[in-house]
Amino acid sequence: MSGRRSRPRQSSGTTRISEDQINDLVIKLQQLLPELGDSHRSDKVSAARVLQDTCNYIRNLHREVDDISERLSELLANSDTAQAALIRSLLTQ
Amino acid sequence: MDSNQTTTTTSSSSDLSHRKRKKKSPPSPPPPSLQKWRSEKQQQIYSTKLVQALRELRISQTPSSPSNPRNGRAVREVADRALAVAARGKTLWSRAILSKAVKLKFRKHKRQRITAPSALTHPVIATGSIRSKKQRGATVMRIKAKGLPAVQRKVKVLSRLVPGCRKQTLPVVLEETTDYIAAMEMQIRAMTALLSAVTSPTEHEEEGQTHVLG
Repeated sequence: MSGRRSRPRQSSGTTRISEDQINDLVIKLQQLLPELGDSHRSDKVSAARVLQDTCNYIRNLHREVDDISERLSELLANSDTAQAALIRSLLTQ
Repeated sequence: MDSNQTTTTTSSSSDLSHRKRKKKSPPSPPPPSLQKWRSEKQQQIYSTKLVQALRELRISQTPSSPSNPRNGRAVREVADRALAVAARGKTLWSRAILSKAVKLKFRKHKRQRITAPSALTHPVIATGSIRSKKQRGATVMRIKAKGLPAVQRKVKVLSRLVPGCRKQTLPVVLEETTDYIAAMEMQIRAMTALLSAVTSPTEHEEEGQTHVLG
């Protein structure tokens, strides 16, 4: 039993995804990106470019989260007031 | 259980087709799933979950090495797990993160059926080998039909970055990516606000938290 086969009711045919569908997804992705998202230059920006920028952006986001996690962990390890502030911020939400 | 997962995961794709049927034009306003990640309320929910989880996290209090790289990783995992929970199990990447965290019997979380017991030790990466062969053949053929090998390569790279998408088809990867990016942005916003709340608790107008450290 292949879930892959039984799934594609929504995409016409078993293994055919339309170009339009993919294009729409890429456009939607492009709108999320910080640089390319503002202008609707969907014709001039190639899919490869969008994908490349997406990869870079995701890597950036990962790095940011890691950075923040580092700082948070240092704070939590170092001080009790940090813990207290955490608890307090939780209570006031 | 397998059909359960099929249904669950179909919903996100059938949503897409549902939207396609309604309007042919590409949707310019962000779809509700993305708006969810941008809402204030969602961020507060996440912040709350995050704080609760962080409080339970026992950071090793060795004064000699406060900046233990392990701790940073632990915080990151906690944050990711909280984010995955906030996704409410509707996306592949969130389920993949939770499966990673569990590391036990995770078969029921994903679509594939893993029969080999050795697969239990590879939570996310291993997919049912039998099925993946079929998938891979179908996936490669499909993307080749789209033409550009450059696109294909990049989607593969992308699929490695987004958890749980390594062997997914192109539209699935793209869909998961959009949700993942929106979720991560929210995660960063929430964690930054938390960080500033912890470092300078007397000045904070970020999320309207008003606690004054006497």
